[in-house]
Amino acid sequence: MANKRNATVLVGLSLAAVAVIAVWKPTVLIYGIQAAGLYASIAIPMGLILGIVHIVNLAHGEFMMLASYATYMLCSATGMDPFVAMVPTAAVTALFGFVIYRLTIRQALKAPELNQLILTFGIAIAMTQAVNLIYTSQTRKLSFEYVSASIDIGELSFGIFNFVFVLVAILMVVGLRIFLTRTTTGKAALAVGQNPKGAAIVGIDVDRTYGLVFALASALVGMMGALFITRSSIFPGVGSPFTMKSFCLVAMAGIGNIPGILGASILLGISENFLKAFRGLRGWADIVFFVLIITVILGRSIRGKKA
Amino acid sequence: MSKLSTSGLTKAFSGLVAVNAVSFAMEEGEILGIIGPNGAGKTTFIHLVSGILMPTSGSVTFKGQDITYAPAHKRSRLGIARTYQLIHPLENLKVIENVMIGAVFSRNRSLKEARRESMEICAELELDRLDRDTTQLSILEIKKMEIARALANEPEVLFLDEVMAGLNSDETKQMIAMIQRIARERRLAVGVVEHVMGVIRELTQRVIVLEAGELIAEGPYETVSKNPRVIEAYLGGAA
Amino acid sequence: MKLKGSYLAAAAATAVVVAFPAFLGAYPLAVARSIMTYMALAISWDMLLRSGQISFGIAGLFGLGSYASALAVLRGGMDPFTSILFASAFAAVMSMLLGLAILRLRAMYFSITTLALMEIFKIVIHNLHDFSGGPEGVVLPEPIFGGSAPALFWLCMAGLFMTIGVSWYFEKSKMHLALTAIRNDETSARSSGVDIFKYLLIAFVITSTLQGMMGAIQVQSYGFTTPDTAFDANFTLLPLAMALLGGIHSTIGPMAGAVLLGVASEWLKLKIPYGHLIVYGFIIILVILFMPQGLVGLARKTIRNGRTGVRHE
Repeated sequence: MANKRNATVLVGLSLAAVAVIAVWKPTVLIYGIQAAGLYASIAIPMGLILGIVHIVNLAHGEFMMLASYATYMLCSATGMDPFVAMVPTAAVTALFGFVIYRLTIRQALKAPELNQLILTFGIAIAMTQAVNLIYTSQTRKLSFEYVSASIDIGELSFGIFNFVFVLVAILMVVGLRIFLTRTTTGKAALAVGQNPKGAAIVGIDVDRTYGLVFALASALVGMMGALFITRSSIFPGVGSPFTMKSFCLVAMAGIGNIPGILGASILLGISENFLKAFRGLRGWADIVFFVLIITVILGRSIRGKKA
Repeated sequence: MSKLSTSGLTKAFSGLVAVNAVSFAMEEGEILGIIGPNGAGKTTFIHLVSGILMPTSGSVTFKGQDITYAPAHKRSRLGIARTYQLIHPLENLKVIENVMIGAVFSRNRSLKEARRESMEICAELELDRLDRDTTQLSILEIKKMEIARALANEPEVLFLDEVMAGLNSDETKQMIAMIQRIARERRLAVGVVEHVMGVIRELTQRVIVLEAGELIAEGPYETVSKNPRVIEAYLGGAA
Repeated sequence: MKLKGSYLAAAAATAVVVAFPAFLGAYPLAVARSIMTYMALAISWDMLLRSGQISFGIAGLFGLGSYASALAVLRGGMDPFTSILFASAFAAVMSMLLGLAILRLRAMYFSITTLALMEIFKIVIHNLHDFSGGPEGVVLPEPIFGGSAPALFWLCMAGLFMTIGVSWYFEKSKMHLALTAIRNDETSARSSGVDIFKYLLIAFVITSTLQGMMGAIQVQSYGFTTPDTAFDANFTLLPLAMALLGGIHSTIGPMAGAVLLGVASEWLKLKIPYGHLIVYGFIIILVILFMPQGLVGLARKTIRNGRTGVRHE
């Protein structure tokens, strides 16, 4: 009862805050939501792995970074558009994710959680440094004209290209929902996520499911890596903040709650852009996320204690 | 005054009541059986009394002192010790260190004193080769080690949660004799959770029966085992 | 007899290390200092790990110590040596306050939070332009002890020896029982009277103080720092890899790992300017998969097998 009332109050307050921002600085809302789309679509694959394989992949952002480099090479060599290149990139990263799973993570599934954490940390370093080794730490950027598309509404003028990421995030949520509830493979994956032992007893191949989920998540994050180069320059360390951000969003939403990632992303995106709207506070915008993650984790642990 | 008592002790897990308004008392030198069908709340009850879980309502009193919300390590220092249903050896510590830990942290003994005292306790329980890793112990030896660790707290109240599980009949007999001797010599109040009724009959002077979290009967085993409610609880549980 | 032998060996090794400046030039001494710094961080990381808590925030405390010391000199007019003590105390107080909150977390939640805290420190330093010098960093009037290579070496060595001493005390005192019990089974530890939170806090504050101290020593030795150097992720990554390779849950393991990887990385840095850290990534992966007990664990196992082998014959 109390929980429900609290939730209602919270939703009310957030709506009020959003309304105030919308009137006072509409661009905060627009850019906040655009950023949220990007955050969410990168975080969702991590949420998928955490929800089903129960592994925190600290190399998540590095998978994206690798895909960005692959796309960059492909596009600059052939002149292909990233929106086309994302298809072969996703296929390659899916394969790559599957191989990494078979070679390393699979061996550590039974090891203590801490070993898994350190293992994926090591994978992240190996990937970043491999790229550093081959391409050096120089930043790279491709420009596309359509990125600067903008729209004018009255006095308001803003870029619209980044709404693509909002669309992608929504498609991911819907697509995964259909996959997990309508298809046999998806249902099996969901069952494995909820109870691997039980799933094994009813004849689901748990190992195969894990491999599949890893490949699927890698494909999604690979696709994001391809799209990422349309808006940002890339360098070997570009992925690592996204590992943290993705984990934060997944933890905020609660493990296994994929639509919740969307909500958490909106909160993060708008708060960040809110700070960016003040000239003097721009440099502090990055801190929002780290404060948010600590608050959320601590809040959850305290609430967990009480329950 | 009782050593340990509870009054209306209740624990609910998000709506599910695991222990419901249990009031009981334990006296010095008494071996008390805590019985009931599977899922009756016996282990939860011990968790509440030893501070591993905090109750939803009710109170726990130790020698007249209210300890309802005292953390587990404080209760251990006051003199409440316990063993666990699932064995909990500290794998990265030697056998002797597993035992010492009770003396070091519950009674602030120096490592040297704790080692000497722990060796005495282990000798009393016929547990030898104390420099072994816990992975090398038999089940009986692990159980002895866990009792030794509890005794190193120098408790006044000791709870043994299914300490006979996994032992053969000879080992069980040996364990019963050992528990009786310990309780007598140390004037302990011992609470024993046990499934095998033969053990309860031989070991305890008095039992309390829990069913679905409620205390439904109390008294000597012979009387309680004839109580129709108890018989029904067990038959109901079995059916 | 055996004990006496190992004490003798330790004393001999100490004497050799103390005498390094007598026969090493400036470059090898600087390399030795860098290895000793990483070694101290590796040991301190391991000390907390003995309780089962993985910190990814070594660089955070290291950077905090660096800046506390540098700013105490620049803004507070403190003399360099006192500033190292001040920075250690600052790290202690900060970690105490943070520990009160975050030591209630476990496993990945604790690890991620330490990582996030490090980022917060870094952003704060980045943004307090007027006070901290912002992204360009700070330059001290001169390095401590006039930048004399032997003096800097001995200062760093003192920091390392203090860390080894504390770690050794952790191994031999009741801290060993408390931390191992917490790592193995918190419930059981509580029932035996271990105040888990207290011991975690002690371990966290002490290891953070040591990390802050090493950061302070580093900044006073170089005479300048920037947020990106002081909070360099390598200060988290390298110690972690060193401890894992050498063998965790011991003092000797991280030490062995630091010597091996430290020397190897100096060599690799010259061979491969970009990306030589890839070696660390692979070491972490391989050790976790094939040798979770590290080199020391492997050596112990070999010795034990050797002995039982003899007994069977």
